[in-house]
Amino acid sequence: MTAARFVINEIQSYHRFIKFLMVLVGAAAVASAIRFIFGLGATTNLNDTYPWGLWISFDVVTAVPLAAGAFTLGVVAHVFHIKKLEPLVRPAIVTGFLGYSLVCIGLLLDLGQPQRGMYVLFPWNWNVHSPMFEVSMCVMAYTTVLTLEFLHPVSERFGWHIPLRLLRNLSVPFAIVAAMISTLHQSTLGTFFLIAVDKLHSLWYNPLLPLQFWLSAIFCGLSIVIFEASLVHRYMGQPNESELLSTLTKVIPWVMGAYILVKLFALTTLTDGPLFDRPFLTLLFAIEVIVGVLVPFRMFLNRRIRTDKAMQLRAASLVIFGLVLNRFNVSMFGMIQPDQQIYFPSLLESVVTIGIIAAHILFFVLLAKYFPIFEHHPEAVDSTIPDRIRKIGEHEAHGKVSEA
Amino acid sequence: MSSRTDFSRDKSFLIDMTKCTGCRGCQVACKQWNQLKAEETTFFSGEGYQNPPAMSEHTFTRIKFRDYQKNGQNEFAFYKEMCMHCNDPACASVCPVGAFRKTAEGPVVYEDKKCIGCRFCMVACPFGVPKYQWSKAFPLVRKCTGCYSRVKEGIKPACATACPTAITYGPREEMIKEAERRLADHPDRYLPKVYGKEEAGGTSVIYLTALPFNELGFKPVTMRALPSYTWQALRLVPGIFLGVGGTLSAVSWIQHRKERIRKEEEEACAGKDAACCAPTDDHKEEKP
Repeated sequence: MTAARFVINEIQSYHRFIKFLMVLVGAAAVASAIRFIFGLGATTNLNDTYPWGLWISFDVVTAVPLAAGAFTLGVVAHVFHIKKLEPLVRPAIVTGFLGYSLVCIGLLLDLGQPQRGMYVLFPWNWNVHSPMFEVSMCVMAYTTVLTLEFLHPVSERFGWHIPLRLLRNLSVPFAIVAAMISTLHQSTLGTFFLIAVDKLHSLWYNPLLPLQFWLSAIFCGLSIVIFEASLVHRYMGQPNESELLSTLTKVIPWVMGAYILVKLFALTTLTDGPLFDRPFLTLLFAIEVIVGVLVPFRMFLNRRIRTDKAMQLRAASLVIFGLVLNRFNVSMFGMIQPDQQIYFPSLLESVVTIGIIAAHILFFVLLAKYFPIFEHHPEAVDSTIPDRIRKIGEHEAHGKVSEA
Repeated sequence: MSSRTDFSRDKSFLIDMTKCTGCRGCQVACKQWNQLKAEETTFFSGEGYQNPPAMSEHTFTRIKFRDYQKNGQNEFAFYKEMCMHCNDPACASVCPVGAFRKTAEGPVVYEDKKCIGCRFCMVACPFGVPKYQWSKAFPLVRKCTGCYSRVKEGIKPACATACPTAITYGPREEMIKEAERRLADHPDRYLPKVYGKEEAGGTSVIYLTALPFNELGFKPVTMRALPSYTWQALRLVPGIFLGVGGTLSAVSWIQHRKERIRKEEEEACAGKDAACCAPTDDHKEEKP
């Protein structure tokens, strides 16, 4: 059987849903090609009133906090050293790696001059006053870290022993570096909109926006881990991890509580300008805060809900919904001026964004199929490595921790 | 963003809207000097008599019309829309590659060879000035250049040269003084405000009008320089970066130590030897 034949057979054996995802990703690839040939003006509904549309609002501003599971879980499992969470770490890293890779693709699609994307890296262009500069540097750096972390299952799959030893000992420093970089760019995505002083509505505009973006990225990241583990249990035949997840659901209310306090403080004391002068925005704000924050907060406070596998998923889904709505409110709805025309994404923009979401699910399922994403058992793997080498590696790793 | 604090010698426009006749010589001169394409438009396509309907990649400046009644007579009021050439420009502060620059002469210029096309400048500008080449496959930003190439050589900008009545061009300090003198001499003719003296932290385009600014189509803007809004968050970045790193390193060290001690105790209880490398490890880590 030739290689091509083998690949075709393999694809034919996939579930119908996977094939459907492949079609969506294919459509998005075609749409991207059209976008590059004809340009942004011809293919999107962007214009001088709406220089940023769906691609920035979803593919960048929303997708980055949605990919925050890797760094939050990394901190909980590796820095706080809660070893039992280890089975959740690798899927989270794969999700993060896919998420950030797709953010990079989304950014490149949205740039008017994508071939010049690298210019941000040249020191003579550096502009430390630009939030965009900081986010692009952080996203590139963090994508590199995630790629290295992702090499872990890849090396395991192909039996590359030396990278494997190195990576295993670097997991703690990586978790710390990931948290440092993520703190910066998750919050700086909020700083983006601090420049829109007279554009963003007072319901969302306040100087603490970066802090709110960071806090919401943390509890959303943890919710994404819950969401993903629950779906993987339901549809991919993986074991029920709801007991491990209840460790995370214990952390979430603390972060959400802090977020609610910060938001309340910002709205009551740091905001100038009328808050509830536009009914549509008030409605969006109410949905975001009540359905997306207060309800899941209350749910996570309840011990029974916190440990129940179905309720965990529901609460986590509400958090994710709330976060998506919040990022759209800040980057799109809240920026609309009363007398402006309304932006609606074009078909091509929508096809690309749907394709990016589909690509995320598709690649996750495929990676899980061919690489040891779930079958990771650290204690079993450790024993395969000669003691002598492990010790040397350990010393190196400890040195790195204290440097970082 | 810009390191300068003294803008008094910057070349600035003083635009007296009460003296504007609406001839739109400035629009034509701007198109000619910058070799901008004419736009096909229809009358009344925008909010009123103005044409083209908005500033765009082909139109860097534009006269907006507004009709109103004064003593029972129909009157026109005008507003010349253009780049404000802020002292501390938002566009320059947000650009990730530093494509915008406030020149020593006054104009804010854009270097299109650097631009990566993120369009943050368009989101950031409080006046909605930078426009995009939506018609192109690889678009760039276009905006009023303040006729930097002319100003550098000591010539006035094209629009200021063409204007028969309303535009005065010179050092910012003198333009503000002149504006204030006119307000003092003819308080009946003007709204008592020099627009651009403090708007967005001060601009190199200064307006005098008879009608309220919002009625003429001026956008509401803050009196603070816009870059200061983002900088108050961004200046914390290095501290936060190191703070998070330091805190998490400490937490990690403590947690691993706890774990190791627990393990050693367990092993000791079981009557086994403690791991031989543990004491050296401890010693090594206590140093930092």
